[in-house]
Amino acid sequence: MNDFITVYSGDLMRRIKSRPFLIGLVLGTVAIVAMFKLPTMLAPTIVNQGTRLVLVADAPLAAQARPLLAKKLTVKGVVPAGTRIDRALLQRFHADSAVSIAELKSGIRVTIFAKNPTSVPSGRIRTALLPLQVQHATHLTSAQIAAALDANIEVRSLSTKFHSVHQAVAAQGLAMTLVVFLYFLVIINSNFVMSAVAEEKTSRIAELLIASVDPMVLLAAKVLVGATLSVLQLLVWVGVGIALGSGGGTASAGAANANPFSLAGLLGNTLSPEVILAFGIFFILGFLQISTVFAGIASLINRTEDLGSISGPMVIPTIAGYFIALLAINAPALPVVTVTSFVPLLSPFVMFARMAVSHVPLWQIGTSIALNVLALWGFVWFAGKLYRVGMMLYGRPPKIAQVWEILRSPS
Amino acid sequence: MLSVEHIRKNFGNVQALRDVSFAVDAGSVFGLLGPNGSGKTTTMRTILNILNPDGGQVTWNGKPIDRAVRRRFGYLPEERGLYGKMAVREQIVYFGRLHGLHEPDALKRANAWIERLEIGDYALRPAAELSKGNQQKVQIACAALHEPELLILDEPFSGLDPVNADILLAVLLDLKTKGATLVLSSHQMWQLEQLCTAFCVINKGETRVSGTLAELRSAWPTRIVRVGPDSPALRGAAERLGATVAGSENGDLDLNVSATSDFAEMLRSFVGADSIVKFEVVEPSLHDIYLRAIGVAA
Repeated sequence: MNDFITVYSGDLMRRIKSRPFLIGLVLGTVAIVAMFKLPTMLAPTIVNQGTRLVLVADAPLAAQARPLLAKKLTVKGVVPAGTRIDRALLQRFHADSAVSIAELKSGIRVTIFAKNPTSVPSGRIRTALLPLQVQHATHLTSAQIAAALDANIEVRSLSTKFHSVHQAVAAQGLAMTLVVFLYFLVIINSNFVMSAVAEEKTSRIAELLIASVDPMVLLAAKVLVGATLSVLQLLVWVGVGIALGSGGGTASAGAANANPFSLAGLLGNTLSPEVILAFGIFFILGFLQISTVFAGIASLINRTEDLGSISGPMVIPTIAGYFIALLAINAPALPVVTVTSFVPLLSPFVMFARMAVSHVPLWQIGTSIALNVLALWGFVWFAGKLYRVGMMLYGRPPKIAQVWEILRSPS
Repeated sequence: MLSVEHIRKNFGNVQALRDVSFAVDAGSVFGLLGPNGSGKTTTMRTILNILNPDGGQVTWNGKPIDRAVRRRFGYLPEERGLYGKMAVREQIVYFGRLHGLHEPDALKRANAWIERLEIGDYALRPAAELSKGNQQKVQIACAALHEPELLILDEPFSGLDPVNADILLAVLLDLKTKGATLVLSSHQMWQLEQLCTAFCVINKGETRVSGTLAELRSAWPTRIVRVGPDSPALRGAAERLGATVAGSENGDLDLNVSATSDFAEMLRSFVGADSIVKFEVVEPSLHDIYLRAIGVAA
């Protein structure tokens, strides 16, 4: 135990002071701040993109259309039909587009002239002008049309997890964010562990360490230092997130909720203790599994340049897990999602995604965790075998047959 | 006492150790000799339990070497390695702690070693900034900080300039005086001869000869007798005694004779044959013994 504490504390201090960790921490914090602040800052621009328009129509038609368009868009001005429509007209009214409306026997014809046709909210314009089209086609009164178009639609949730559509959509957004976060946290920190092992081997300090300490203690300390640093990073980022989310008090929270792009609003509405616990458990399980395997295989290389090529095949299941987890967010009941939520290496991502967006039976969660723990035990055995021999293996990289021999050897 | 008994070790199809045996008395300095690739480093790693032997056993004071025993050992590997970004003093203290020292004690000892090895100017600098020789000094401090019972040094003198080699030699002699058992390998025969009380020559994974220098010499079948000045009468007397001429240098004649020869009788014969001014029985050097053991010399 003393050996472990010495190696763990020494390695922890070394890694905390290391440039990659500090840079990662700072960049991560900047990213969190950006995730909280940028949507709020950019939302008005995104929402209002292409919505400023100038109406081109004869006076009676303009009088009917203007209030309809003004409900969903910003009408910057009205000019009579026949006015020359060009960029100068748009510039004069500070508008993104000109909406020209002409009356036909069968209804109205709408032509939109825009500086950037891809940003034209044609759907919103169509919806806004629908009553006008119906009025001119059927000659009904505007009150009759308004009553006819006002369908009473209500969506009621039968999910045991979410009571409203808004809540379910918010949970999907949160799950997406957390799955991405989980994936990068696991992969980046597992790579740190792999680099640390490779550094000790290539700098030839490994022999000195193994002469003093049991290799399994070294391996365990290395992986747990990685886990500690990951949790430390997470705490800093979550702390920053909480500070930013609650910074403006109630008024700010209300504003955040009103903003569909607000991460603070998203977290505040849907981040339940269950999701936090699942994130913590599956992060630890995923990280321990992947970083242990990474540490084992890193012990086989003799040059840090070889890290990428040797870790490549190991990243594939992780990427697969990540993509299935993204799939699970929209379709948590798919058979492939259910099955992979029990497969180690994949399940930390998939089961978490399922839990974030649907109600997963407790026995399934328990089975998934148990299988992951069992697999972790296997990975520790596998990595320990490789590490014990690999750290002393110099010269040519070992062939598959040699690795197999290592795994079969009794000690 | 360290006892290495018939250890074997294979790496795949490569037999690194076929049969290595030797014994090292407590408090002695033992030289492990052999050409490159002979199995010296594998033997050292096996002693330290870094590698498990496929056969045979290694014991320290009659007991197998477990973690607790190994902790009392020190090791300077052939391939030097330090944490490049870690400061020198911090590094020495860290390795002291790995060997069971408490931090204040490790720090006190580290300061003493830094002063002794004359690397005080670099104590707070990252190890990567030091020259190769100074890095080696740091490693020696790391290996010896905890005053090991057994210190194993693989090529400790390689890469050191003569001044630093002398410093290391003094350090090793001091450790010996304090009772440490030292096992070291080197290709510098004169340094080994100066330091070691016993030797083992291994080649192709097998022990070729082992023992004290006196024992190795006593097992040597021939001796060189140097007589002078060289003359036909002297050569005639040598021929009559059954000696063969090994060479002639600086006017003296080197004769190859059996180790069991009656040297007093030989001297009387040479004195009777000519006027000689020199008669010297030259013991085989460690270098001679080594070359013969590895099969390079007859």
